[in-house]
Amino acid sequence: MILTEPFERAWRHRELIRAVVRRELTSRFRDSFLGWVWAIFAPLAMLVAYTTIFSIAAPTVAKDTPIVDYAAASFCGLILFNIFAELAARAPTLLHEHVHFIKKSIFPGETIAWTSTIRAMVYGAISFATLIVVRLATVHYIHWTVLLTPIVVIPFMLLMLGTVWFLMALGAFTRDVSHLMVAVMPLAMFATPVFFSVSQLPPAFQPWLRLNLVGNYIEMLRDLVIYARFPDPLLYGVCFVASYAVFLFGYRFYNEYKTVIVDVI
Amino acid sequence: MSSDVAIACRNAGKAFQLYLHRNDQMMQALFGWAKTFYKEHWVLKDVSFEVKKGECVGIIGRNGAGKTTLLQILCGITRPSRGEVKIDGRVAPILALGAGFDGTLTGRENAIIAGAILGLTRKQIVAKLDAIAEFAEIGLFFDQPMKLYSSGMTARLAFAVCAHVDADILIVDEALSVGDEAFAKKCETFIAEFSKRGTILVVSHGLDYLKTLCDRVIWIDAGAVREIGDPDKVIPSYISTVRADEEDEVASDS
Repeated sequence: MILTEPFERAWRHRELIRAVVRRELTSRFRDSFLGWVWAIFAPLAMLVAYTTIFSIAAPTVAKDTPIVDYAAASFCGLILFNIFAELAARAPTLLHEHVHFIKKSIFPGETIAWTSTIRAMVYGAISFATLIVVRLATVHYIHWTVLLTPIVVIPFMLLMLGTVWFLMALGAFTRDVSHLMVAVMPLAMFATPVFFSVSQLPPAFQPWLRLNLVGNYIEMLRDLVIYARFPDPLLYGVCFVASYAVFLFGYRFYNEYKTVIVDVI
Repeated sequence: MSSDVAIACRNAGKAFQLYLHRNDQMMQALFGWAKTFYKEHWVLKDVSFEVKKGECVGIIGRNGAGKTTLLQILCGITRPSRGEVKIDGRVAPILALGAGFDGTLTGRENAIIAGAILGLTRKQIVAKLDAIAEFAEIGLFFDQPMKLYSSGMTARLAFAVCAHVDADILIVDEALSVGDEAFAKKCETFIAEFSKRGTILVVSHGLDYLKTLCDRVIWIDAGAVREIGDPDKVIPSYISTVRADEEDEVASDS
């Protein structure tokens, strides 16, 4: 079945994916004294810094919202955008990093997209948990709609997987893709509603920003976590279908070229 | 394919794509449907053979004859450009010992990942870890990061993992040239043991070793099978051809 094939393949290699994710998560902080504290400290410091700085000098886009909400909204944006930026920047070199696995052993290369995406999502989840704790500390309540975040996170993850498959296959052919992504990612931040929301833009620009799927997920996440609003069902449906299409396309693209990749990498 | 055949290779050929310009690779990926950006280089031209279950077959041939490419195809690492390959059973490739290990992880953790790559579940691997550690003879280093290992220790652990995955078919690529004498002996003993119950395909330049181990030998020359058969016949004819060619070279040089 073409729609579920990527999941079936991942399920078959679940033991491998699990073992590699474990490795990636444990080896990152292995030789550090404080270990996992760092994973929490970095986003916490960031969030505190935002809240402090914005309360001293609020940007004009924040004029209608309380500062804590504005800081939290920016942080929501950063969580998803950082996952995207990190994966997009790293994906083109992933196959080069795993060249020994791919050329010298019977390693299912498509699992690399799963492991790197899951890894990035775990760090995103730590940031998210930090956000929830800080929200409880600053505004003393949290909307029940926060329980619905998986409906945003799941299509977002599919979008990431498709993007990683596509970029890692392309990156195997030429190193230019990797340089391109590093150059483009900071620019992509301006085209994504990280520090502003789409509704604050002039109406003429708004439809164009709706084309940015990452931006749409950021806004939906804010709706659920901060404003206790449901995402617009039509927009959500379109984003979901588009993300699933990217997911399938990325998978097909990688598989189309995977045997050639072994020869050229 | 009848059920007593472990490996069947029919008219297998492999062409590598040679690109004149590095960016042509991306052009091919993007616009390959419209135009061809590479030249083909046939490393393997036409290879056909069968290996029966329980058989031990050696592959000989000179450097660049296509032996490694053939093994990569048989392991499923790369696909043949034409022809077909059928494998019946779980394959344990011993191609490059320890190539996929992560230096920051301990030997134990790396063994778990290596086992997962070979298709074992976590439970199965964990049950075998003691046996692996014992076979590898690396003592307390098993729980140390692998960056502290010597190259011999890395090779021993890698071989130990491959030896414990309960494979039906062992595919070995000159891996035994690493490590010290005692370890090489141990590997040879293991392979000899294994050949009693499983299928083995081994590439080696150790012709005497192949003669004692193998039931049959395949001689690959310039991407094609030159001779298949009894080691006592194929190996001498291989040696005499190599010698004759060397003499020709010497003659043409002087």
